[in-house]
Amino acid sequence: MSKPIIEITGLKNYLGHQWVHTDVNLTIYPGEILAIIGGSGSGKTTILRSILMLQKPTAGKITVFGQDIETISDKAADAIRRRLGMLFQHSALFSAMTVLENIMFPMQEFTTLSKPFMHKLALLKLSLVGLPKDAAHKHPSELSGGMQRRAAAARAIAMDPELLFLDEPTTGLDPISARRFDELVIFLRDTLNLTVVMVSHDIESVKRCSDRVAFIGDGKILSLEPIHDLMKNPHPLIADYFS
Amino acid sequence: MDESTKASFTFDATQNLYLCEGHWSILNINALTEHFNQSPLPVDKSLTISGADLHYFDSAGALLLFQCLEKLKQNNNQVELIEFNDHQQALFSLVVDKQPALKYKAPSATYHPMIYQLGKEAVHKFNQIDGLIILIGNLSDKLFTACGQWRRFQCPSIVANIHNAGITALPIIGLLSFLIGVVLAYQMGLQLENYGANIFIAYLSGMAIFREFAPLITAIIVAGRTSSAFTAQIGSMKINEEIDALYTMGLSPIELIVLPKVLGLFIIFPLLIFWADLFSIFGAMLMSKFMLHVGYSDFLSRLQDSVGLKQMMLGLYKAPVFAILIALVGCFQGFQVGGSADSVGSQTTKSVVQALFLIIIADATFSIVYSWLDL
Repeated sequence: MSKPIIEITGLKNYLGHQWVHTDVNLTIYPGEILAIIGGSGSGKTTILRSILMLQKPTAGKITVFGQDIETISDKAADAIRRRLGMLFQHSALFSAMTVLENIMFPMQEFTTLSKPFMHKLALLKLSLVGLPKDAAHKHPSELSGGMQRRAAAARAIAMDPELLFLDEPTTGLDPISARRFDELVIFLRDTLNLTVVMVSHDIESVKRCSDRVAFIGDGKILSLEPIHDLMKNPHPLIADYFS
Repeated sequence: MDESTKASFTFDATQNLYLCEGHWSILNINALTEHFNQSPLPVDKSLTISGADLHYFDSAGALLLFQCLEKLKQNNNQVELIEFNDHQQALFSLVVDKQPALKYKAPSATYHPMIYQLGKEAVHKFNQIDGLIILIGNLSDKLFTACGQWRRFQCPSIVANIHNAGITALPIIGLLSFLIGVVLAYQMGLQLENYGANIFIAYLSGMAIFREFAPLITAIIVAGRTSSAFTAQIGSMKINEEIDALYTMGLSPIELIVLPKVLGLFIIFPLLIFWADLFSIFGAMLMSKFMLHVGYSDFLSRLQDSVGLKQMMLGLYKAPVFAILIALVGCFQGFQVGGSADSVGSQTTKSVVQALFLIIIADATFSIVYSWLDL
């Protein structure tokens, strides 16, 4: 196997007077789609937040692109952030901007591309995630929840990140949109050679697109294997989850 | 930028070959675009574009390649892509597929003549007044029905509002009133000293403070602190669909949110004005002592004789009006929030501005009424 893109060792998180993670060890390789599943409140999103440097872990070591995010300089951290894309659970689109401006926002901040080119690139991302053209000039509050999610996905891939984090991307989408979204994730991985880390509750979606699944419970990764093996795992928590 | 992350698109005229090299990523391609646009393009040739030395190719790169290709084709060139790997091919054909979608232009904002905008603004203002009247009606309705059942008065909520709007404002109101008292006595003292009418400082500052300054300063501070807080709170609740949640439970947000706020402010506001009275008079008294050598006891007895309780009460009568105005405007603007985080900000601004505006109008009205009544 090639060099890991993310390596988490001994991650511990103490939040709200309880241990969310006691010992999380996880290695993610380039080009794979890794799903993180587990019961509500088991700390799936917290893992993402730790990797994204939104939350300082209580203990443990996380390396992203081979760099320890605990010890790197702010500049190096920014350089890493530029190579990441994140789709938040509640979309987190900037409500003051239109959808197109939302997608163009990171481009404007980080590149010096010409406006028409940026415009076209943003429209390309928009059509990639399957949004109709006339959604481009709408504000997020004028869109339905599913469309907001897709617009947020378009913003997440605006900078062609190498590493894409999805926090419950298909929750709240209708089955057809959810399937399209999964196809999109696989397509992006294949064409852009992305690495995708997704947190999901949608077993169908996990079945469709994940290469490996990390099951989190009791503050640890209980199992890390393809979904079909995971579903036969006799561990009581896992068996309970799929029953 | 190091060598490995450079992108280039070079033309080899001898073989009619374009070479794509390096990292065609969104961060790198800008220089490349400029270079391509400035260089002369071949005309009427059969060209090949090679991706053999392309190390990294993302969707921005694919879009750029497509645009270059279009430009070359415009010059009657035959163009063929060779030696691109499968990923790059897939990405490029994706861009080609999506072409129709990329030609979209957002409809430009339609221009409206001034008369239209004036009318729109007028309608908007009328709707606002309408909304405010409806809110007042709703509120009175809830108040009267609540009078029958004490439990519906939401006592814990009223107490919490008294604490937030009143008790926590005490230090700032005290400090500012004290300073106003000092400044007022100083300014008046300068003139009084000239005439040797030092003792009149008690009458002058007492009148000004009790009737105007203390109520107004209190109202301004409370409008700034509390009416904005009400708007932001209700606005966030609205964005979060909490208001809708209350409605679907068959509960009235007016009764549960607005009524306690109005009542809380109604109860605490006269006390706040009295607090401001105390500190302003204290400030004026200190200044009189040091500047005009009017003793504390002289000042106070003079204040009692010439100003008295009556003037203080005239100031306190303004309290209920100010309290209701501030609370109503704050809550009303909170309910006007819609959609975005921006809207919370603009409505909060509006709420403070309107509250201040209405306070000054009300204060002027009080002055007129008092002068009619010869008070």
